[in-house]
Amino acid sequence: MTIKAVPLSPEDFCLDPDASLMDALKLMLEKGINHVPVCDPERFVGIVGINDILLELIPVSARVEHGLADLAFAGDATRLLAAHVEGLKRRTVKERVKKGQVLDESCPLLEAALLLSQNPSPLPVVGAKGEFRGMLSRRALLGYLAAQEEG
Amino acid sequence: MHGATSSVSEVIFGLSPLAVSLTVFVLTYAVIVTEKINRSIVALLGAGVMIFTGVLHQSEAFAGIDFNTIGLLTGMMVIVAITQKSGVFQYVAIVAAKSVKADPWWLLVMLSAVTAVFSALLDNVTTVLLIAPVTLLITDALRISPYPYLFSVIFASNIGGTATLIGDPPNIMIGSAVKLTFNDFLFNLTPIAVLVFLLTLIPIYFIWGRKLKASDEDREQVMAFNEKEAITDVKLLKQSLSVISLVILGFVLAHSMNQEPGTIAMFGAALLLLLRALGKDAEEQSHDVHHSYAEVEWVTIFFFVGLFIVVAGIEKAGALSLLADELVSLTGGDFKATAFVILWVSAIFSAVVDNIPFVATMIPVIQSMGSVFAGQSLTPLWWSLALGACLGGNGSLVGASANLVVAGFAERAGQPIRFLPFMLMAFPLMLMSILVSTGYIYLRYL
Repeated sequence: MTIKAVPLSPEDFCLDPDASLMDALKLMLEKGINHVPVCDPERFVGIVGINDILLELIPVSARVEHGLADLAFAGDATRLLAAHVEGLKRRTVKERVKKGQVLDESCPLLEAALLLSQNPSPLPVVGAKGEFRGMLSRRALLGYLAAQEEG
Repeated sequence: MHGATSSVSEVIFGLSPLAVSLTVFVLTYAVIVTEKINRSIVALLGAGVMIFTGVLHQSEAFAGIDFNTIGLLTGMMVIVAITQKSGVFQYVAIVAAKSVKADPWWLLVMLSAVTAVFSALLDNVTTVLLIAPVTLLITDALRISPYPYLFSVIFASNIGGTATLIGDPPNIMIGSAVKLTFNDFLFNLTPIAVLVFLLTLIPIYFIWGRKLKASDEDREQVMAFNEKEAITDVKLLKQSLSVISLVILGFVLAHSMNQEPGTIAMFGAALLLLLRALGKDAEEQSHDVHHSYAEVEWVTIFFFVGLFIVVAGIEKAGALSLLADELVSLTGGDFKATAFVILWVSAIFSAVVDNIPFVATMIPVIQSMGSVFAGQSLTPLWWSLALGACLGGNGSLVGASANLVVAGFAERAGQPIRFLPFMLMAFPLMLMSILVSTGYIYLRYL
């Protein structure tokens, strides 16, 4: 059996790569999700996560190799943070999008379970031509398997 | 070059030692320049070939290694690796920024000055690695371009490194080879380094400085930085600063104590390791010591070891005496002309290739000139070599390791420093510094 049988998270939305990171953040807040798929226009491009957006707020001097190890001395730096939040409107999703682990809809359930267990987030599922089908979450997979067991 | 005992080379197949050693030397340097293979591997392979082909005996190769330079570099690297964990560098940078109320131009001056002073006392790469992130954070908070600041940090690092015996590897090598002391460098190179630093700020002001603006609110944000929070370990800070002060005092008094800087740096490193180990159990001590040794740039150390042997090979074969004779005949045996040729050629070379192999080669060449300029002190030639090799590093992005480190950091931070735009600004500024140095050498020594 493949994951085609599993009801995927109903992702009836997909962000355009040129959408801003602020658009992505608003979508996440509105839907209560941490990861948004990015498609161009139907073809799956990747995922942008809430941590990618959080990283944008951290000064670049602290998030690169050999950067500052802590920022305690900078205080709350409200203006700096506000400026970086403002910057989210100018940064596009494609600058932060990550392809990561992608599942083909023909992927067997056991393999999907293994890959899910190795990834912190739900995994995107694509069709044969790379078109986006939806997100496979732990809850969806386990719910499906539990239902099968009961049925 | 460092007391290699002379014996007749028995080169394989009866080949000429001069031809074999020069071939190995040229091939080694050519591969180093391509940067396709790690330079320490190439240098060690070149050293091995010098021995295997019979140009050098192993004992001569070992005698060719300047262990004073190796000891000085290693000792200072251990001291800096431990000290940097205290957060003192960030502390000083923040204090410097706040002392000028985060005014953008004066901030650039202060960060450059801090970089120059640290580079004069510690190694340049570590200095820029510690100053660049703070610089980026402050410019981020002020919402101004970090480029002029990073550019100035690069320049200040190389100029500061020129000022002292321990500031830059070429100076360490020169000082060690010809027994020039810490004080000799302090009295002879620090004044010109200060002058070059100040003069370099003038074009930087007209190119960028006068246009740098920041809002009062953003400046207040920097003023709100709490430098005390940057200190992560007060005890370590006190230990490190005490040992660094003692080591610098040791350098100043080294000549009168009849000691070499390498011994002082290694002893300082051991003392700091001991202070860190006190009160800790064996496992914790082992972890700390292992970690501190791991921070030593072994690539650089092994690169030096290999280079010293390769240069000892061509020196023994007589190639460097020939080169010295050629150089002297080029300048017609004129001492002034020789000094200027060394200064300018060193600067141009150092702008485009690594200055360490160049200086390693030039030291025995200049030493060989002693017979030509009999009765005349060669010291001005050493200052010419030091000034050319250190300041020349500012000529391009590949001119010095510190330049590449800042460029790499800027690239990762999304503020790339491109090769050509950097060189278009940096090369003329470097030439200006060499012009000023020419005047200094002429007026003071010739």
